[in-house]
Amino acid sequence: MSTLLLRVYDWRWSVLPPVTGIAMMAMIVGALVAAPREIIEGEVQRLMYLHVPSAVIMYLAFSVTAFASVMFLWKRDIRWDALARGAAVVGVFLCGMALATGAIWGKPIWGVYWTWDARLTATLVLFLIYSAYLLARSVAGPLDEQAARYTAIFAIIGVADIPIIQMSVRWWRTLHPQPIVFQPTPALPTEMLAVLALGFIAIAALAAWLIVLQTETERAAQRTSALRAEIDHREIA
Amino acid sequence: MDNIEYLFAGFAVFWAALFIYLLTLQARIRSLHREIEHLEERLAASEGVTAPASRDLRGAPGASGGAPARGTTNS
Repeated sequence: MSTLLLRVYDWRWSVLPPVTGIAMMAMIVGALVAAPREIIEGEVQRLMYLHVPSAVIMYLAFSVTAFASVMFLWKRDIRWDALARGAAVVGVFLCGMALATGAIWGKPIWGVYWTWDARLTATLVLFLIYSAYLLARSVAGPLDEQAARYTAIFAIIGVADIPIIQMSVRWWRTLHPQPIVFQPTPALPTEMLAVLALGFIAIAALAAWLIVLQTETERAAQRTSALRAEIDHREIA
Repeated sequence: MDNIEYLFAGFAVFWAALFIYLLTLQARIRSLHREIEHLEERLAASEGVTAPASRDLRGAPGASGGAPARGTTNS
């Protein structure tokens, strides 16, 4: 089983980039050409095919960070810290994209780019939490276990903001639209749902590729640190 | 209602940010890969043996290759 998993993982460079590229191109064609034009909001509604998948996959990326942080605290294996950082970078990127596309959609629809709406504010808080996590983690060295422990706890606490974001439109009166996709009968035409599903596949593939790439970069940074320490140790000895 | 300029802006921001992120990541991967090779050569010279290069980023954008060495990262 582990051999099979390792073999699948070995395909990451040959499979993930082309799959991501094809899915992203299909999503763009679907969003800009195939999806029907929304009558009330007009063309800008097509940003939904980027905005909603970015927001949902961002939750998954931060959940990976929290899971890897728990595993790091449990196993004390620094490789889990690399995965936590890798997923956090991708989560922050997707969170930034969800905020940016939401703001651009908000200007013609609400009349403002930004408002201190509960969902927007909670999402901004999540963005700041994980930006702070990455900043704190990058100040210390890649192999600094104490810093990795403290930031892991911070990352686990930070993920508690996700249910708050998700429930904010139900708990408070907000400008943000109510959920129309994740309910028993989605309030979208089938053509729009199909393009949205394509958007989810594309952004999920992109996130998977970027997490792998970023995690292995963090592992390379850890290796650089370990090699430098080894050389220093030998030179002193 | 026709808001095509906002649609263009939204997609442009997304793709520009992704492009910049990938370029930055590629530069970092390339620099780390070069540094690992250099450090491994120094270490090998001090040991008097040939050290394997890291394979973690082999095939990744910016990486210039390297011999297989599974689990080269410290744990």
